[in-house]
Amino acid sequence: MKQRRPLLIGMAVAAVVGAIWIVVLLQNPPRQTLDQRARSVAAQLKCPVCQGESVADSPSAIAQQMRGVIRQQLQSGKSEQEVIAYFQARYGEQIVWSPPWQGFSLLAWLAPVGLLLGGAILLFFILRDWRTLSPEEGKSAHQAELAHVDEAELATYRALLEEELADEDPIFARPVSGTGES
Amino acid sequence: MHFSDVGYIALILALGFAIYTGCVAVAGAARNSVLCVASGKRGVLVVAFFLALASAALIASFLSHDFGVSYVAQHSSMAMPWYFTTAAFYGGQEGSLLYWALMLAVFSAIFVLTAKRTAPVLVPYVIATLVAIESFLLIVLITVSNPFARLPVAPRDGVGLNPLLMDTGMLVHPPMLLMGYMSFSIPFAFAVAAMITGKLDSEWLRSIRRWTLAAWSIQTTGLILGAWWAYHVLGWGGYWGWDPVENAALLPWLTATAFLHSTMVQERRGMLKVWNLVLVVASFTLAIFGTFEVRSGIISSVHSFAYSDIGSYFLVFLVIIIVASTLLFLYRLPKLRPEQEFDSPLSREGIFLLNNLLLVGIAFATLWGTIFPLISVALRQQTMTVGPPFYNAVNGPLFLILILAMGVGPLLAWRRTSWRVLGRNLGVPALAAAACAAILPLLGVRDIWANIGFAVCTFSAGAIFYELWRGMRVRHRHGESYAQALIMLFRRYRQRYGGYIVHLGLVMLAVGVIGSHFFQAQQDATLKAGQEMHVGGYTLKYYGNIGETYPGTSSVKSILQVWQGGQYEGFIYPGRVFYQNFNDQPVSIISISTFGLTDLYVFLADWNGASEATIRVFINPLTPLVWYGGALMLLGGIVCWWPERRKVRAVRQSGMAAGAVVQDDKPATAAGLTAKAAGRDDEEEVVV
Repeated sequence: MKQRRPLLIGMAVAAVVGAIWIVVLLQNPPRQTLDQRARSVAAQLKCPVCQGESVADSPSAIAQQMRGVIRQQLQSGKSEQEVIAYFQARYGEQIVWSPPWQGFSLLAWLAPVGLLLGGAILLFFILRDWRTLSPEEGKSAHQAELAHVDEAELATYRALLEEELADEDPIFARPVSGTGES
Repeated sequence: MHFSDVGYIALILALGFAIYTGCVAVAGAARNSVLCVASGKRGVLVVAFFLALASAALIASFLSHDFGVSYVAQHSSMAMPWYFTTAAFYGGQEGSLLYWALMLAVFSAIFVLTAKRTAPVLVPYVIATLVAIESFLLIVLITVSNPFARLPVAPRDGVGLNPLLMDTGMLVHPPMLLMGYMSFSIPFAFAVAAMITGKLDSEWLRSIRRWTLAAWSIQTTGLILGAWWAYHVLGWGGYWGWDPVENAALLPWLTATAFLHSTMVQERRGMLKVWNLVLVVASFTLAIFGTFEVRSGIISSVHSFAYSDIGSYFLVFLVIIIVASTLLFLYRLPKLRPEQEFDSPLSREGIFLLNNLLLVGIAFATLWGTIFPLISVALRQQTMTVGPPFYNAVNGPLFLILILAMGVGPLLAWRRTSWRVLGRNLGVPALAAAACAAILPLLGVRDIWANIGFAVCTFSAGAIFYELWRGMRVRHRHGESYAQALIMLFRRYRQRYGGYIVHLGLVMLAVGVIGSHFFQAQQDATLKAGQEMHVGGYTLKYYGNIGETYPGTSSVKSILQVWQGGQYEGFIYPGRVFYQNFNDQPVSIISISTFGLTDLYVFLADWNGASEATIRVFINPLTPLVWYGGALMLLGGIVCWWPERRKVRAVRQSGMAAGAVVQDDKPATAAGLTAKAAGRDDEEEVVV
């Protein structure tokens, strides 16, 4: 029974944290002010005359104008997506700061995800291969390892280890007993 | 005779000696001739001497305002103060290449002078690789990118330095990053030497790790300084924009970080040899790729002042490196078998594999995003942009998992850990994280991602502190006071606890990034004299503009008074500076005032006469933590790197077997000693 306790506590903690996150997520409706919406749209557009700055960040005149247009269009009831589509139609695809989730540019998103998944799967198989190399598994292997080392030998090793530790670090020179930390 | 003539001759002589050194080193290795190798070692020193001479000549040309030298005329002017005139040495492409070549030569010289710590078999090959890289740089310097090229007619005054570079950050950031790029050559040279000789033992591992750690620390500093420079100069309220050149600098850092972790698996368990070599080679290749990318201008970036036509040279060099390393791999692959089996995924080595997967994943996503516009143009003639939203969406979660793994990792033992032990160790940090997740919504943090991010950071920091506490408690039981115990932990197990400092620094940096990303507030206002603006608890009262003129520069500054919650905090003067010859590129003077952990970032966007200005204000919460965290990471890197006293270890001869059963609570001692005690004679049997 005692062995299960940390597991149960862990699960309880995880459940509580998960519940908090879900509550936060649900309690947080996208009720943003016009300013915030305009800024989030502007942050998704690239300033056409700058080097690597978004419309939201750039101090240039054209970016300022574009911010005005975004505000106006949002005010008149257009959705964020429609405003972005409007700029995309006028300035071309490169105005959008991140590749859209469609067509060729989907590849930009999928390649890293694919590589990660591939890596994880590869890792899984490699680990499985490596594990089958060892004859026994888990605890039994550990016990098997210790089985052909008899108690006396083990004691010598421990003494040797103590001595070595003491050599490196005088604090371990004292005989240790029952620290529970071995 | 001008200084520039001396410089050019020095470059040619350096190239001559570099070629000689390479040949004599290889010959020395092939014929087993000690004399040849000794000559090669001296050759490296001679090359370093001539490069130092060439650099001195270039600096002398700058300081004597010899505008007959094209590079000097283009990057300095009479009006510049002496420190910027000196720094202009690496302010343009020819000079920065010379600086790179100089740093490579200096580091090669340091390697040669400390070569007795390296296995003698490796030395000639390391030297040959280093001088091969050096020769490439020298050829570029002598032919297409000559900093000493003279103009037919010397102009009366120079053009001056790009105003964006006239900043104190400029004095430290580029040299640090260039040094970082360069310093990946030495681990690479070690990797090449190991692949040729087949000597990948623990001694080799120790050398390559120390050099990689040095490179890592330098690159960390360069990246942090770069972020700091962007924050103070560019005026968009941020410090990292996922610009292609920034990405290029991050890439080798990521792979080097992965390497530093996975070498521990090789050190303890003799696994992952091939993978480690791949990572070293990748770090160097990515460093060269970064240079190629910056220099060729194939990708548009804020660093466009460094464009030129030497990109093709670097491309050829890149191809040579990749082909040569691949061939060496294929040649050496059969000998690189793991010595031990993998026991359980729930172990230190398991979590290191996860760490490597994540770091390489981040590196790939970043590289992919950087080159994707090129692919798009090549395949469908359609330009496109991959900007920060992409990187934040892909890399953000990966970094989050990485930080989580960083918390769990140190609590796992090598080989295998039972769930029960892990649960016991994770309890305290998990409770801290849960408390954080519960308290934050009460404090008004409503963003789910920020909440998750902060909770994960709390977990990792909690795990590190808990681990520190456990170490202290053990020593305390042996009779040391807690303070003494803490100091002794750091002194005795420098690598382990230095690593914890780095981890804490990264957590701190992550908290800063999360804070400034999710809670940044921004407001623009056009103010007339006497008007006020209010942003997030701060009040700014505008008084008017002042203009100042100096020889070579003129500036406009706005006068603003800052109040925080009704309390007067002082005056600030955001403004712009115009440099002679660069009047269309005014440089911003950004006013950054730090209140506790919040930055008030004020930027003069526009002005009209003496009494109207458009002010852009950012409130950047927690941003200072980015710098503190960066400093902590550097400190941790230095603690790990700092040489240990070797005396104690060298005399150990016995106790070989004990290392195998040692618990991980006392690292570096028994296991470290085992490696040492194995000694030089039988090392090959033990490790290779």
